[in-house]
Amino acid sequence: MRSAAQAISEGLLILPGPSTLLYLLIGVSILMVAFVVARPDITVTRGGKQLAFVVLFVLPVVVASMGAGEQMRRTEQTEFCLSCHVMEPYGRSLRIDDSTYMPASHFQNARIPREQACYTCHTDYAMYGTVRDKLRGLQHVYAQYIGGVPATIHLYTPYNNRECLHCHAGARSFEEGAVHNADPTIMAAIKSNELSCVSSGCHSNIHDIEHLDELKLWEAPQ
Amino acid sequence: MNAREPHIHRRLRVSGVLIILGLSVELLSLIRIHPLAFMVFLSVGGGLLAAGVVLYLHSLVSVAHAVPREDAH
Repeated sequence: MRSAAQAISEGLLILPGPSTLLYLLIGVSILMVAFVVARPDITVTRGGKQLAFVVLFVLPVVVASMGAGEQMRRTEQTEFCLSCHVMEPYGRSLRIDDSTYMPASHFQNARIPREQACYTCHTDYAMYGTVRDKLRGLQHVYAQYIGGVPATIHLYTPYNNRECLHCHAGARSFEEGAVHNADPTIMAAIKSNELSCVSSGCHSNIHDIEHLDELKLWEAPQ
Repeated sequence: MNAREPHIHRRLRVSGVLIILGLSVELLSLIRIHPLAFMVFLSVGGGLLAAGVVLYLHSLVSVAHAVPREDAH
């Protein structure tokens, strides 16, 4: 007899994901609220009052919290960032078939989670960085639909090495890299963000959207 | 709703309808992964839900306030 773990690994048992559970919870909540709306007289009894409290207060708060969590998780997805037309070339630049292009190389070699490619490199790994990013995201939505997208899109601040070091600090290829240790001052300058990883001429091939049409793009196998 | 229906029942119905609308908007906004879906979830869905919950809580408080305490007689 198969165990549940075996059945899952063989694809015979598909467990519902968090989104499915959330949809179900919202559906059940709607039905329960509809019952209270149709029969408000049940609140005459003690049990009815308790049911109304759960249905009209506890469930909506729980569902809204879970939904907000799900929406926040979705804002970290590559699909979310690339859903704005203006970001489309940046998405295509992840498929440049040239390993010297940092974002493309990281994306294609799965050095970052592909489904969170933008977020992984562009989030702010400082304290309150996520909150700052979400507020900037609201500014982006305003620019996209009301204020107008600027002709040239640029980062708010120069790219901080902290975002690279979030993964690379401690990695052997980085810590023992010949160029990184060519001079005793280089490693300290990188770690203190005095010498930029991406704009000091070392890893400066990034999202080259101006020349995308001239570059060969990688097609991921289906 | 009819004229003889207790006031609290009317409020329960209205808050329930607001909550159903809020939940429906939240459900629909979860279908797509898009910044506008996120905004609709937060502003429209969240707003309707909050209005429904606040109206329900207000109806509880106002009923409790309207019932005279025994020691007041």
